[in-house]
Amino acid sequence: MADAVQSGNPKGPVRRRTTSPGGNKTVSRSGGSSSTMMKLYTDDAPGLKVDPVVVVVLALAFIGSVFILHIYGKFTRG
Amino acid sequence: MGFRFLNLIRPFIAILPEVTAPDRKVPFRQKVLWTAVTLFIFLVCSQIPLYGIMSSDSSDPLYWLRVILASNRGTLMELGITPIVTSGMIMQLLAGANLIEVDFSLKEDRALFSGAQKLFAMVFAFGQATVSVMTGLYGDPSEIGAGVCLLLIIQLVFAGLISMLLDELLQKGYGLGSGISLFIATNICESIVWKAFSPTTVNTGRGPEFEGAIIALFYLVITRNDKIRALKEAFYRTNLPNVMNLLATVVVFGIVIYLQGFRVELPVKSNRFRGQRGTYPIKLFYTSNMPIMLQSALTTNVFLISQMLYTRFPDNLLIRLLGVWTVCSSQLFASGGLAYFMSPPHSIKDALLDPIHTVVYVAFMLTACALFSKTWIEVSGSSPREVAKQLKDQGMVMAGHRETSTYKELKRIIPTAAAFGGACIGALSVLADLLGALGSGTGILLAVTIIYSYFEMFVKEQAAEGGIDALLF
Repeated sequence: MADAVQSGNPKGPVRRRTTSPGGNKTVSRSGGSSSTMMKLYTDDAPGLKVDPVVVVVLALAFIGSVFILHIYGKFTRG
Repeated sequence: MGFRFLNLIRPFIAILPEVTAPDRKVPFRQKVLWTAVTLFIFLVCSQIPLYGIMSSDSSDPLYWLRVILASNRGTLMELGITPIVTSGMIMQLLAGANLIEVDFSLKEDRALFSGAQKLFAMVFAFGQATVSVMTGLYGDPSEIGAGVCLLLIIQLVFAGLISMLLDELLQKGYGLGSGISLFIATNICESIVWKAFSPTTVNTGRGPEFEGAIIALFYLVITRNDKIRALKEAFYRTNLPNVMNLLATVVVFGIVIYLQGFRVELPVKSNRFRGQRGTYPIKLFYTSNMPIMLQSALTTNVFLISQMLYTRFPDNLLIRLLGVWTVCSSQLFASGGLAYFMSPPHSIKDALLDPIHTVVYVAFMLTACALFSKTWIEVSGSSPREVAKQLKDQGMVMAGHRETSTYKELKRIIPTAAAFGGACIGALSVLADLLGALGSGTGILLAVTIIYSYFEMFVKEQAAEGGIDALLF
């Protein structure tokens, strides 16, 4: 059984490709152009790991604290 | 020397915050959600004023850069994505010019390189915040007091850190696209929508007028007795956004979308499997919006230096040659010298009245964009050599060519496409400026190209998820 599969393998994919009706396949991602300014942060670097949820919470906390500062400023000045 | 430079960064890597990569592929709907949350945070940040500003109505030195940096004056997003963009650009240029040695095939080098970018982004944020607070952009530092000065700097640096993390969050695969492009497009679209529908009134001496073009159109047509004159005013008023500006914006939008589809399709065939054929598309906008970004970064820097010198020594002949600046509604505009020829004419009428300016400006835009575009393919790794290598790795050759001549053929096509595409982008930006499209020509082009790439991304994601149902249910 395993033998049969193995012997069929080298020819299998080739035949399928030639017989498939829409043989035209577009190669590569959309057009090889470089749209972004930088290609960074793609893989894991050793660093202080933060969860995305933590990032969002951090941002909201920051916004909140600036809000509180504004309100505090209003009270102390007026 | 190069390797030592990257090694200098190593000790800092451990303390740099780093968003964990998703352990499996994030589903499309969740991606949309993350993108929306990010966008929400950005929008809120660009509305909340900084705590402790005294005044921010002095002439804005960064007026020309605001568009491409997604920053809003006097708010938490004062710096916007400036630190990220500056450090990214500088590092990439340095790496592209081989001034620092990076081997992108090594995992460790890549990590060090992106760590260096982040570290520099934070350093830039701190430097820029300190300089703008100390030079009195938000009021005299001695009046504000040391404590509030420190608070201002902390707010700016922290906002920079957050925009960096949000950008990383999107790029790591939680969201769609990158934070940078998302923020730029949002900022520009926001200003266009605001100019079209703003309900605020401005008093121009002839009674209050609505700022938004559409609102003003309806208001004028309904309230005035003479309908023809009302229409004329809504379409052609000069001091505030008018309906013609809005139409021009739509036209430019359409042209750019139409041109996005232009491409040369190179037939390629597989070496490994006989009969497998495909196409490798080379787009007209091969370098997308990069030429225009680099061009506006260049002009802005020239403007900044020229403005600074002119306010210091207004009588020096050399400095006058570089640029003469006049105040026009509390914002400095170039009215002579080199800077004048590098700034767009304000309207078609201005362009016709000063043909020399127009011709020089158009020539400058086209050449600069074409040159930047050609340079960018080398820097960004989409040069003929890289593409040839990519095709080879996939076991592809161009139909009718041998492997060695594939590179030659690509070398013939890609730089031409890049230069021509760059010039097209430049021409479109000039056209948008002349027609008076809302936002600047640069802004619209950036917005449209970014939105188009998001659209492409949506289509691709949906094809992967199986139909439009993925979005709806």
